[in-house]
Amino acid sequence: MYYTCGIDIGSVSTEALILSIDENKNYEILSYIVSKTGSDSKNAAYDSFKLALQKANLAENQINSIVATGYGRVNVEFAKKNITEITCHATGVTLLFPDVLTIIDIGGQDSKVIKIDKVSKKPIDFLMNDKCAAGTGRFLEVMAKALEIDLDKFGEIFLNTKDKVDITSTCTVFAESEIVSLIGHGVPKEKIIKGLIYSIADRIISMVSRVGLEAPVCLTGGVAKNSGILNAIEEKLKVKLKIPFEPQITGALGAAYLAINYI
Amino acid sequence: MNFELIKSKIIKNIQNNLNVNSIKRLLKILSSKPILSLYTSSIKSISDKYLNIYTIKYMNEVYSGKYPIAYGSLFLPYELINGLGLKPFLPEVLAGFTAGLGVTSKTLKAASKEWYSSDLCTFHRSAVGAFELDLFPKPSFIFASNLACDAAGKSFLNFAKKINIEDRYYLIDVPHNDDNESINFLSQQLEYIFYDVSKKLNKKPDLEKLKQSLINSNKFRNFAQEANEIRKNLFDYPIYFNGLNYILPFFGLCGTKESVNLFKIMKDELKEKLLNQDKEKKMKKVLWMHLKPYYRNEIFNILEKNNIRVVLEETSFIFWDELNPDKPFESLAKKMLSNPLRGNGENRIKAMKYIASTYNIDGVILFSHWGCRQSNGLARIVKDTFNNMGIPVLILDGDCVDINNYPSGQIKTRVEGFAEILNSI
Repeated sequence: MYYTCGIDIGSVSTEALILSIDENKNYEILSYIVSKTGSDSKNAAYDSFKLALQKANLAENQINSIVATGYGRVNVEFAKKNITEITCHATGVTLLFPDVLTIIDIGGQDSKVIKIDKVSKKPIDFLMNDKCAAGTGRFLEVMAKALEIDLDKFGEIFLNTKDKVDITSTCTVFAESEIVSLIGHGVPKEKIIKGLIYSIADRIISMVSRVGLEAPVCLTGGVAKNSGILNAIEEKLKVKLKIPFEPQITGALGAAYLAINYI
Repeated sequence: MNFELIKSKIIKNIQNNLNVNSIKRLLKILSSKPILSLYTSSIKSISDKYLNIYTIKYMNEVYSGKYPIAYGSLFLPYELINGLGLKPFLPEVLAGFTAGLGVTSKTLKAASKEWYSSDLCTFHRSAVGAFELDLFPKPSFIFASNLACDAAGKSFLNFAKKINIEDRYYLIDVPHNDDNESINFLSQQLEYIFYDVSKKLNKKPDLEKLKQSLINSNKFRNFAQEANEIRKNLFDYPIYFNGLNYILPFFGLCGTKESVNLFKIMKDELKEKLLNQDKEKKMKKVLWMHLKPYYRNEIFNILEKNNIRVVLEETSFIFWDELNPDKPFESLAKKMLSNPLRGNGENRIKAMKYIASTYNIDGVILFSHWGCRQSNGLARIVKDTFNNMGIPVLILDGDCVDINNYPSGQIKTRVEGFAEILNSI
């Protein structure tokens, strides 16, 4: 039996996950931590690792291998290997849902679509958003601030609101100005929120179309916790999405699972 | 003496005093014997060494004021221009140099003052800016074509108007078809240019010189073709060697002895590497489509680190047959019409599929240069074509010239993610 750790350092959150795994690759998740990355990704990685160790009742020297992933992966000096979030997410999701063929991951500052091969269960294609924050968690955060409404309430508002206004700007800065202007014109905030959620869903659908939709589809990343986004994407794709028990840990899970290859 | 230190001092000096004199000074320093030998001693590849020596010599000649300069866009029959005794100067290629020198923030700013929109390709914008900042030598003639890219015809007209040589500006109209009528139409234009330029140079038309230019071009073609053949099986591959650095000799120096020598050296070097390579070594082979970023970047290092090599660049592909020196205009017209970038995209796809099968490629990277309609417009078809052949494709969005459009973290993840896919197959 081995103990491995996967650390996924995103721009907004850092996840650390510890697995016990045997030579046949049977595994059990012993612990996981989801925390804010903050301004120092090096410290965030080590702090999350230590917290995950504590939760799993393990000491640092009991961990046989560590794989880092996510945009800050190169900063995890104590990891044995860096692997991209493309491979780690694909591995993590297929462990939880072996039949999934398309993964939509919406993170804090980037979103991606990954296509999985039916036979090998490995990624065969992927697409990431361009360098702007449109269609990501950060976009939603900025809009929530402009609307002065808690982001956690967006899902409920989306479900309980019939009409929407179209948000035409995809740029985060311009969309914020557009929203301020709509509020100024007396448009109800609920309608604006519904429009915002659809605008994100539209961007994601466009990415899915470029890669090619193949069901079953899994939605991961912090934004997957937003029921509004989940519903909007399901409505547009006409597909029921699979959501992991904790949508933010699939990258770390995949990294921890792959870590056994680097013992 | 540390050359890197000297180089960074010179570049900083150019960045702070951006004018034609600082460029001339740089070229003079680089061509002085001790500096040149220090510089070239740091270059591992013999052909890269020769490329640098020749480029410095060539640029010195171009800036010397002793030769009639001809501005030209990329896909021209340079055998004709060299055969006329003109010194080709390729503003689009030189825009790549502005990226290498780290001065594009200034050249792009200068272009924006001239109403060049930021959605226009930065090869042209940076070239326009460099021209506005008086960094380029003044041309005696300007040539452009509508082959592949039609931005050159327009921005080059701007150059002609600025210095009042509109009567010495030639736009070559390349038809979309390659039938006999198209060959005649194009060869007549080339013939007209040959006689008209000779007249304007007050020279007797020298058909023998043109013929020699075509003979040289054939020699270059055959060496380049041999080099490409060697690359098919060359796994122990020098990362520092990259066909995308050879755009100037491959296109602009066609017809000169220098391009013959350079590609012979390249062929010999690669042949030796093939003979001495580790027979056990295997790498994944990638076809590189379009150009690459010409500022410092880590894309090729990431590929090397992940055991992936570029087996061929789209721009290194020998797409034309040998030229007939006795029929120079018809031959050159046929060469232009064989360019896979002619037409609606079908020719490009056909050529890339041919490379995929003959070079046994494992993957394709299409560098999607910002604002390049002629290339990016085909991205979907490129992706579908290769995916249907079971070959993964990475469409890598970026900018060859403007480093501000190079999100390094995102590009690293995309390239590494693609490498992981290739290595898992």
